[in-house]
Amino acid sequence: MERVDGYAPIREYALVGDGRTGALIARDGSIDWLCLPNVDSPSVFARILDADRGGSFRLEPAVPFESERRYQPNSNVLETTFTTAEGRVRVTDAMTLTDIKRISPMRELVRKVEALSGTVPLNWSLEPRFGYGRADTRIERRHGRWFAHAGADALVLGLCDAGAGEAHGGAISGRVELAQGSSAILSLAAAHEEPVVIPGREDSERRLERTVSFWPRWADQADYDGSWREAVVRSILALKLLTFAPSGAIVAAPTTSLPEWIGGARNWDYRFTWLRDASWTLDAMLRLGFRDEAHAFFWWLMHATRLTQPRLQILYRIDGSDHTPERELPELHGYRGSAPVRIGNGASTQVQLDLYGAVLQAIWLYARKVDHLDGDTGKEVARIADYVANHWRDPDNGIWEVRDERMHYTQSKALCWVALDRACALADEGRIPNRSERWRTEADELKHFIDTETWDEELYSYVRAPDLRELDASLLTLALLGYDPRGKRIQGTVAAVERELREGPYVYRYLGEDGLAGDEGAFLTCSFWLVDAYAHLGRLDDANALMDELVGLANDVGLYSEEIDPRTGDFLGNFPQALTHLALVNAAMSIVDAEAAHRTTA
Amino acid sequence: MTLWGALAGGAVGTILLTSGLRLSQELGLTRMDIPLLLGTVVTDRRGPASVIGYVVHFLNGLVFALAYYAVFRAVGHAGWLFGAALGVVHACLAGGVLLTVLLPAVHPRMGSPWSDAEETPLLEAPGFLLMNYGRRTLVWTLVGHVVYGAIVGGFAAHLG
Repeated sequence: MERVDGYAPIREYALVGDGRTGALIARDGSIDWLCLPNVDSPSVFARILDADRGGSFRLEPAVPFESERRYQPNSNVLETTFTTAEGRVRVTDAMTLTDIKRISPMRELVRKVEALSGTVPLNWSLEPRFGYGRADTRIERRHGRWFAHAGADALVLGLCDAGAGEAHGGAISGRVELAQGSSAILSLAAAHEEPVVIPGREDSERRLERTVSFWPRWADQADYDGSWREAVVRSILALKLLTFAPSGAIVAAPTTSLPEWIGGARNWDYRFTWLRDASWTLDAMLRLGFRDEAHAFFWWLMHATRLTQPRLQILYRIDGSDHTPERELPELHGYRGSAPVRIGNGASTQVQLDLYGAVLQAIWLYARKVDHLDGDTGKEVARIADYVANHWRDPDNGIWEVRDERMHYTQSKALCWVALDRACALADEGRIPNRSERWRTEADELKHFIDTETWDEELYSYVRAPDLRELDASLLTLALLGYDPRGKRIQGTVAAVERELREGPYVYRYLGEDGLAGDEGAFLTCSFWLVDAYAHLGRLDDANALMDELVGLANDVGLYSEEIDPRTGDFLGNFPQALTHLALVNAAMSIVDAEAAHRTTA
Repeated sequence: MTLWGALAGGAVGTILLTSGLRLSQELGLTRMDIPLLLGTVVTDRRGPASVIGYVVHFLNGLVFALAYYAVFRAVGHAGWLFGAALGVVHACLAGGVLLTVLLPAVHPRMGSPWSDAEETPLLEAPGFLLMNYGRRTLVWTLVGHVVYGAIVGGFAAHLG
């Protein structure tokens, strides 16, 4: 793996986590991103955003090496094997789960090194930089242990057979030589607003063992027997890492400001929960049998949105609050110079009507498959449907969060139709107060608007907006969510997206303007939506062929970013991205369902 | 100063406090739902949880009225203003410790900063000074408890 100006390719990262935060580990053994104590807290390692001052925790052979890695089977525990001329060592990285029987660190990252053959010298270096590298981080040695702290945050480094280390230049570094059969442990215990729990070797190893045994037990619940099982299970494991266990919320990605184009300004903070992803999340979890996670996410969804109901904000913080002010961090250089680095997300103030369709779809799925809706929830759902009936005529920023003049985006209107349609279904089933007569009237008017104003006979497709006669890959979601199922116009739209926006396995979101300068890569979620649309239209050969190609685009440990550069295959954007993995799971499940339906009718 | 007055004040004050918080929920000022938080200790069904929670919160209001009465007796004075001052202390206790630290520690369905991937809690924790439930939550909690304290103090001083 080669670094460019100190930056590893995004494709070369793997994620370990504990359901509260996650660390990105490069193939060369450097932990380059970690926020503490939570995924949306300030970083302590941010080498991905500034190779010089971001901070990292490096561990690599002191001699030339090659590395290969994998997740343990059905697990989020990472194993990196370094091969050198002197021998081989394996590093097992994990963020450990809390041991409820004995006091545990608030957060703990364990790196266990085992010598597999020969004798291998290794260098390690811990450079903690609290507060996105801006806080005054102090390093001290107390009672034979290294402590790093800034304000209410602290880290203690546990070293077991890994040398003593020495501090210089804001880093603690050391060297260890391991002979075949020997092992060492380096652990980081973190605390926030509480005393640090100092990790001992036995405690860290016990927590590591618990963590190693937990993940396969959890992943084995996945109810999936179709093709690409490994990719589907890896995706659901990645989604579990993106789930913030204390609240049940799911972040779009655990990183901020990884660029959508190298050197560009499309650098956003994705450490929030987008309601749009709600329906895809619930769908994926329910289809794979993860009812507890679906239940928890639904409770979060209904609880988090209460402050703004019936209006819904497009994104919320993982703790449920709706305050997400965006600002730039000029101190950080940005990934390979891609500035600015942003924290917070200003898109929260946008209007995106499509999210109402996603949320009503999620509620409809939940009510059918998990639990009934209680009286208060039913009333809240009906009020949201009323809001859609009152506001679908408003212009909005659309699913792609266009930072430009608001327009009447077709996909937003279609998703409003989905919202009203699902509300009618819920009302007809007696699950929410019945105002379906009005909702049905508005839905019919909405459909009339879409079919007359946004259809282009020449393109034989729906278009992005009445005033934008161009294609938009988000229109594929119409096929997925049952807008005119298998209708000729939906078939035409899928064919047009294929013709205009597809390039091999890659699908661009759109080719028109969006109010921002600069390019972007192909959007991987759109590729999986195209697979899903093929499956819904019964084009199973096309679906299988494209799915095969897309599964091959994952990195070596099965993860995807938001976008990909079609020219080079480089990953772009925040990583790993929930929406891409959700779309993969749902596309695979749609193929399984379509194949089952095909067998039944054959 | 009478015990019965304090208890009557506790009953009236709790009803006003609970109603006030409910009103602020309906107005979109907070997501704080005390009955739901308390009731979901027992069940994950929202309806029954709310009913149980209302009863538990009402009983809590009476128990706290007894504590207020003990303070009044110890100091040898009760009144609206003194009760309101105790209400501030009460709000600090509720918002700073009871709901933010102790409840998440014992609530089987509530997340805490220590919840990890092994758990799937149904309720988010209130967070520091109840801020997770909306930034104005603390204000309404404070106002509610001051009103409660004033009523308990006033009733204890003037009834019976």
